Amino acid sequence: MFDKLEQVKHLPISFGDIARYVIVPGDPNRVPIISELLDDVQHQGQNREFNAARGKYKGVDVSVVSTGIGCPSTAIAVEELSHIGAEVFIRIGTSGSVDGSAQKGDIFIATAAVRDDGTSKQYIPIEFPALADIEVVDSLIKASEALNVPTKVGVCQSKDSFFGEVEPERMPVSEYLDMKWKAWQRGGVGASEMEAATLFTLSSIFGLHSGGIFAVETHDKETIHKITKIVLESIYYMEKGVNNV
Amino acid sequence: MSKDGGTEEAKGGLLDETVQYHVQLKKGDISDFVILPGDPGRVEFIAEHFDKAELVAENREYKTMTGEYKGRPVTVTSTGIGCPSAAIALEELANVGASTFVRCGTSGGMQEYTRVGEKVIATGAVRYEGTSIQYMPIEFPAVASHDMVLALKNSAIKNNLDHHLGIVQSKDSFYGQHNPEKMPIADELRQKWDAWVKGGVLCSEMEAATIFVVGSYRKVRTGAVLLVAGDQARGESLTKEEYKENMSESVKMILDSSLEIEVQI
Repeated sequence: MFDKLEQVKHLPISFGDIARYVIVPGDPNRVPIISELLDDVQHQGQNREFNAARGKYKGVDVSVVSTGIGCPSTAIAVEELSHIGAEVFIRIGTSGSVDGSAQKGDIFIATAAVRDDGTSKQYIPIEFPALADIEVVDSLIKASEALNVPTKVGVCQSKDSFFGEVEPERMPVSEYLDMKWKAWQRGGVGASEMEAATLFTLSSIFGLHSGGIFAVETHDKETIHKITKIVLESIYYMEKGVNNV
Repeated sequence: MSKDGGTEEAKGGLLDETVQYHVQLKKGDISDFVILPGDPGRVEFIAEHFDKAELVAENREYKTMTGEYKGRPVTVTSTGIGCPSAAIALEELANVGASTFVRCGTSGGMQEYTRVGEKVIATGAVRYEGTSIQYMPIEFPAVASHDMVLALKNSAIKNNLDHHLGIVQSKDSFYGQHNPEKMPIADELRQKWDAWVKGGVLCSEMEAATIFVVGSYRKVRTGAVLLVAGDQARGESLTKEEYKENMSESVKMILDSSLEIEVQI
């Protein structure tokens, strides 16, 4: 048997320190920005790329923990967070646009992710779909509508190599990257990012709930706050059970 | 070439835009909302639940009837077994105006808690089949449309039906699932099957993955309702009467969900 604490060796927090609902940005520096919209915020510390805070929104207990860039560290965060009691994960991130359906400045809600990552394959074979939780997606859509914020809803792509996307021509596998990218463009992929596929796959197979909402090619504080508002309101909906799913 | 598809060449041409090559349908023959069973023998049974219906085409495994349900135009077309023929059906139906596709099929239960007679509303599918990878690389998720899943879920609740919401597995080899030990690749079949079960996959069937992937590419709405008709682990299956009664409930669920989908043509 593992020591119980041995299984949260990377996080700055432990048992009793986490809410049921966790907002998971990639960037540790985004944790305080997101936390600005919470009441009674407590900054809990940082270890490696995992920065943790906890507070309340309309009385609902909410945590914010960064995952770092990429699926490998995201998997560690999801494993350890769920081990200490987290059940619902909503990723707030930035993304690139792919097929043009979502463009710079848009807000994108992911229903599923292309598994162009290596981590999720070490959990379940590639044929398995990386799906966001239907209730999380529904809550995000309802919250954005209630807040009057237009969003795009669709499939995102999760990659492991950032520079493979932005400078494919200098990669030894450039032709392979181009071919795949064209398929995502033709097949209806709206956004490209780096963590959703593993977040969705792990949540699905472990009976957790997750979703993702992204700022397309923007990172300004105002947009992040707008997205955070949608996420917090969606958490409130889920907690109060006002959805029909 | 005549517009009504009356000439020989209009009926036969592979690239003919008037009459679709395999399903033998043209614009006006179908509604925007199409129910897709696998079995052509189930088409008439499904159409009996419409308020009115007529046979519009029959060719190979593709049999189509169009009618109305509570004033909403609806169509049912069989796909035949498997993803190759399902992809053809979806493509050709989309060419002549279909914009929503809901598979109405049977499946084998995979979890302790999926019992015969229950209905599975698929949110997505495992792509353990060969057709969808000739459209999109395997990393792309086979995902049902969000609004269709919700409409089906609402309809199941309204009709008080035992149902599950989740991921299903689509395979190409029926007997590879039923008798894996007979197959040269028995180890791979068993290993993957165990992974799907551990990953929470609800039931196994043969068309959903391609319907979802080709649907994403064609930008049409997709969904699937799979009746759990068999349970290998328990050795349970439905009797003929139970099957009819339960399939009837699936059809009712899909038809009521169609009322939430705005008519497109």
